[in-house]
Amino acid sequence: MLVTGIGGLNSITRVVTPGSSAAPTAPAAGDFGKVLADVAGSAMDALKAGESTAIAGVQGKASTQQVVESVMTAEQALQTAIAVRDKLISAYQEISRMPI
Amino acid sequence: MIDPLRAATAIAGSGLEAQTVRLRVVAENMANANSTGKTPGADPYQRKMVVFESEFDKALGAAEVQVKGTALDDTPFEVETDPGNPAADANGNVKMPNVNVLLEMADMRDASRSYEANLQMVKQARSLTTMMIDLLRNT
Amino acid sequence: MGPVNLFDLVSRHVSWATFRQTVLTSNIANANTPGYEAQDVKPFADVLQDAGMAMAETSPGHMAPVDGGGSTLETADSGGYETTISGNSVSVEQELMKADDVNRSLSLDLTIERAFHRMILNSVRTGT
Repeated sequence: MLVTGIGGLNSITRVVTPGSSAAPTAPAAGDFGKVLADVAGSAMDALKAGESTAIAGVQGKASTQQVVESVMTAEQALQTAIAVRDKLISAYQEISRMPI
Repeated sequence: MIDPLRAATAIAGSGLEAQTVRLRVVAENMANANSTGKTPGADPYQRKMVVFESEFDKALGAAEVQVKGTALDDTPFEVETDPGNPAADANGNVKMPNVNVLLEMADMRDASRSYEANLQMVKQARSLTTMMIDLLRNT
Repeated sequence: MGPVNLFDLVSRHVSWATFRQTVLTSNIANANTPGYEAQDVKPFADVLQDAGMAMAETSPGHMAPVDGGGSTLETADSGGYETTISGNSVSVEQELMKADDVNRSLSLDLTIERAFHRMILNSVRTGT
């Protein structure tokens, strides 16, 4: 999860940063929206799973280890999505500052 | 119990209880090591032993120890000659309890050590759980 | 039980757990009192069920009062451990084990609450 999260962020920054030489693994411009949706979707899934495991853990139906693992995963996914969002916003601001 | 560490704590807890019962019985035996009967020819204090049993607990998925009860030791009584004793029979013999103090002391030490071992298990399980929960503590 | 709010559930559980700690502490304090029977509170699942039914009757804007589930104290099952001649049925080891478990679950509750609170703050904060 950690690796795919960072990988997702990496692919976004490569596309967004202007003038970067496209590496063979960088997605084409058309896949940009798909990558965004993937990152957001997996963050939502991880958050939902984390919340339901936490609810089970509070009631004593899940083990401590399961709760800790799923909440950590949720937090990592959320941080990744937040980083993506922040990067998008700063990229948009940079673009809007470009002289015509 | 889904959480193995909680199960470990519960099992160690059953061990702690069992060892306290054992210590109590040892104390009873030692205190009564010289308790003869009251009437002539009567039986003296009979040594008690604890009976432990391993019981499989489905909720935990593991075997807990249960105290099944106390049993009486059937070792024959020692006979001493003490004509002045209220429990002396026609020949002046008194039956003494079948308690060997040295044996009880060894039993006591063993029970204490087992108690400490179980307690150590509980502390260990607690510290592991705390470490696990601490993973979520800081950013 | 329908969709549950995590913070609401954790808050109820913390109330229940702290109340249970009080009961267990008084059990241990009365370990030698003649005639004292060990007490425990209703299981948390029962407390939730009662609260769930209560919520259905009042208006949606109301939160059911959290009394820690202590409205009914039960006499605990001594679990095979003996009651002494003086009528005292407290097993100190059992009470301490229960107290240890309550401590663990309280610690987990508060840590879960902190983690999710942190996540919400992070998502609301702007990073640019």
